[in-house]
Amino acid sequence: MTSETMTQSFETISDEAYRDLEAAVGAEYVSREPGVLDGYTWQPTINDDPAKWVKRPVAVVLPSCTEEVQEVVRACNRHGLKFKAFSTGWGVYSGCTYDNVVQVDLRRMNRILEIDEKNMYAVIEPYNCGAQLQAEAMKLGLNAHIIGAGPACSPLASATSGWGVGWDGVYMSYGHRNLLGAEWVLPDGEVLRVGSLDSGLGWFSPDGPGPSLRGIMRGSAGALGGLGIFTKCSLKLYNWPGPPHMKTEGVMLDAQTEPPEHMRFHLCFFPDRASLDEAVYKMGESELAYIFTRTAVGAYVNTFAPHLLQNVSRTRAFRDVLSKTLKWGCTIILVGNSEDEIVFQEAVLKEIVSGQGGLSMETMQAAAIGPMMVMNFLRVSAIPMVFRAGGLFSTALARNEAWDTQMDWAEKGEKIKQRWIDRGGILDDLADNPFMALYEQNTWGHCEEIFQYNARDPKHLASLEPLFVEFSVAAMEMCMEPLSVTDARLREVISPMMGHYNEWQKKISLFLDARRAADTGMYCDEVDIDLSKIDPEIRETLDRMVAKLTWSEEGPPS
Amino acid sequence: MAMDKDKLSAIVGSENVSEDPDLLATWRQAGPVSGGEPQLLVRPRSTAEVRELVKLARAEGINLVFSSSAPPRVRGDSVPAGEAVIVDMSGMDELVRLDRRNKVALIEPGVTFERLIPEVDKAGLKVLMPLLPKRGKSVLASALEREPITIPKYHWDMTDPMLCTELVFGTGDLFRTGSAAGPGSLEQQWAAGGAQKNPMGPAQTDFVRVVQGSQGTLAAVMWCTLKLEVKPSIHRIYFVPDARLSRLSDFTYRALRPKLGDEWLILSARQLATVTAEDPSRVDELAAQMAPWTVVYGVSGYEYLPEMRVAYQEKDLAAHAQAAGVMAASEVPGCSAKRMERILASPSPEPYYKAAPKGAFMDIFFLTTLDRVPHFVSVMEAEAGKHGYPPERVGTYIQPIQQGRNVHLEFTLYYDSADAAKAGELFTSASQALSEAGAFFSRPYGPWADLAYARCPDTVAALRKVKDMLDPDGVLNRGKLCFTREVV
Repeated sequence: MTSETMTQSFETISDEAYRDLEAAVGAEYVSREPGVLDGYTWQPTINDDPAKWVKRPVAVVLPSCTEEVQEVVRACNRHGLKFKAFSTGWGVYSGCTYDNVVQVDLRRMNRILEIDEKNMYAVIEPYNCGAQLQAEAMKLGLNAHIIGAGPACSPLASATSGWGVGWDGVYMSYGHRNLLGAEWVLPDGEVLRVGSLDSGLGWFSPDGPGPSLRGIMRGSAGALGGLGIFTKCSLKLYNWPGPPHMKTEGVMLDAQTEPPEHMRFHLCFFPDRASLDEAVYKMGESELAYIFTRTAVGAYVNTFAPHLLQNVSRTRAFRDVLSKTLKWGCTIILVGNSEDEIVFQEAVLKEIVSGQGGLSMETMQAAAIGPMMVMNFLRVSAIPMVFRAGGLFSTALARNEAWDTQMDWAEKGEKIKQRWIDRGGILDDLADNPFMALYEQNTWGHCEEIFQYNARDPKHLASLEPLFVEFSVAAMEMCMEPLSVTDARLREVISPMMGHYNEWQKKISLFLDARRAADTGMYCDEVDIDLSKIDPEIRETLDRMVAKLTWSEEGPPS
Repeated sequence: MAMDKDKLSAIVGSENVSEDPDLLATWRQAGPVSGGEPQLLVRPRSTAEVRELVKLARAEGINLVFSSSAPPRVRGDSVPAGEAVIVDMSGMDELVRLDRRNKVALIEPGVTFERLIPEVDKAGLKVLMPLLPKRGKSVLASALEREPITIPKYHWDMTDPMLCTELVFGTGDLFRTGSAAGPGSLEQQWAAGGAQKNPMGPAQTDFVRVVQGSQGTLAAVMWCTLKLEVKPSIHRIYFVPDARLSRLSDFTYRALRPKLGDEWLILSARQLATVTAEDPSRVDELAAQMAPWTVVYGVSGYEYLPEMRVAYQEKDLAAHAQAAGVMAASEVPGCSAKRMERILASPSPEPYYKAAPKGAFMDIFFLTTLDRVPHFVSVMEAEAGKHGYPPERVGTYIQPIQQGRNVHLEFTLYYDSADAAKAGELFTSASQALSEAGAFFSRPYGPWADLAYARCPDTVAALRKVKDMLDPDGVLNRGKLCFTREVV
């Protein structure tokens, strides 16, 4: 969302254009009914002014195949309309940022087209969700990376267009790095197939011949709908040594699942940060973990039982136990392919933890906890419960990098949040509420600082943009790429600190989209931001960062 | 093309400009690529000098061909299509930073495997190696060209082991990729704990992927960070010889899915003999004693309970081997496990191991999936038969990559001077036949470019737009890949 677009719009589509959309997908799959359109103006996450919502599209279409997507995009080109893809939604970035946008809702394209069991990949459509893919993969002894947004979200969307973080990243990598091929409807309506697919050789290899077009289609973040629509993709699957069907009764916190034989769930606690950090590096070098996260204990309580946390946090002793005594912990799920392997993994984990003065609790076999936690972790069902505390949440992400930097970011985030909690600007979650994960056996780490708020509380709403700026400035100070690199309000400031990346994004947009048909609000647009509501000290720091970090003609500052 | 030596000297210094014909000769021909007409060679010492060279090239219409490795040159990507100035990057050879905690090195293009391996070893780490790289091969160039590494479990994505880079585009613009992009200089990032480990970005770009595999046509790489891994405390090598490739494929699929093993490669008898022979004259004799196919794999223990790790891996792998109907051994004719361990951790001896047995060789390599390998082997055998080429002079190397989801399949034609013409004919016809059979020439050197790009016109159209954006005047390695038109 951008400052400019934070106003309601009620622009309508011409009858001629509407007829073209009907011709593209069939009359029953197009709508311009205001009630239907308003359904697309609400996306819950990373929305720092939910009172105003996102732009209302002028029409919504539901294509069933790539050819229909092409026809929709061509119709938009003909009529001077923009288009924006929508698969399973979640964040404000799924919504429109211009007044004349046709929302292309891909929910009819929901199939798993192929699972290549031997070569460990699946070909899926945009509305296939993580839970569906995982369930089918498990039948073949395979598993799928599910992002932190949860099992209802589209793996295609994160791998091609969004981010791709998940706590299984330690074993199953990151959305973009799991991509093996993509079918991409460009903003002019032509189809580009990425990798071996375009040579008619299947979905197995994403790069080449020669340079990889994957580097144009996205970066660490996707183009968020600004470069076209992805209609199919091939994603890596990973080993799953558990049963083909996870026998489960109930859902969410009532779930009871029979834990797989060679799975262990450890909650580990350390006396201080240094020992936790050391243990994480040792775990990475030992190639442990199927799932890893550092999520504060208070955050677990906050997620699973928010009212309980609000009550107990008023008691100093409980508060201290949650936010201090148990502060330096992590959760690690081990999965073995054999009895010997799981015994080895547990033995190593115990040595690492005890060597750092920590303690570890295996809870998988505990009747009260294990059966409830299995699918909440494996299928990432638990994370969406973060909405329960206040109704909404947002996040402060800085560049994924070496684990040490992520812990620094967590500590910085906690300090920033505590100030805003103290002044009543966001919910009190004990401040230490990071979502941290590892990638590829700790090749790098991830930390995003979660903060929750109540959209009906004016003080909370007034805090969101200042918090967004403060977190961005903090990331700059720590030489970390802030999440706001994808936000039109700060691109103009941050891009010159990072090799003028947005100038290159504008060029990519121009060569793929000469008629400006894609909604580029989340990709390369720049808008002014009103900094008058920002703390003068933060503004001053921002000015200092601009002076210190902006690249000169010679390159980055020395 | 104008070649103003004075202007080049003004940038890099006259002592770093050469027109020595003997020196330039190695860029005239390589493998199947010939016709190079290098006019001058320059040796820049800094990014600033490279940027000035690119600016001069744009102004003067000079074709710049970047090259980092020592000869022999075998693929032809650095053989110019016509006249060119060779930009020899081998002098930029600093190992800028080695970070043990984060298992990463920052290296310049001139750092070779021979130089890097002992430095990394001292830190208790290991370089993720291709199989027997040339001793003077640039580590950066190897990663930039997506040469396959021998440990599939560490090959998560095609960019591995390359992480972040500094680029000079054909526009002359400087850019940094991944977390190296900042904000902040490298020094500022290091002070903040950064290690340039995240290869993606910055933001919504991923130019490192665009530049990898581009054969120097889009940007020059000034440095990169390289992912390293822990040196095992116990490391054992096993051989699994068998007459049937299908059984070894089955074994490989079973083992790689649960990420068992470290090194993992499959070699034909000819190739294994060539790789392992201490005396190249004995390759024929050794190959005759070996099984037609052999899996070579390693198992490792690290800091914690290394014996226990090796034990469970050995046990689980033995179970998979039994299920596949194969059996591991600790040696093959002429090579012990210990010797193989050294081979896998070293650059090639001199002369380059492939050139040693017959004096010359040509490689044909591409990507496919393991289950399709037998099909390509049949195509290759048929082509060799058609040309009367002795089958025992074709070696086959199968390298699982992307944790087993793909393989790099490589056929090597060994020949002496008397067979050169026949080998050349086989190279051409087999490349064509393999392409028609579905070979994905993801690294399309020389004549493979036409084969590969004929199959994907939409990709070609997109790549030409990328070329126009990053090298609008066509000054970088002109005429390579699908960039036969300079400005699109």
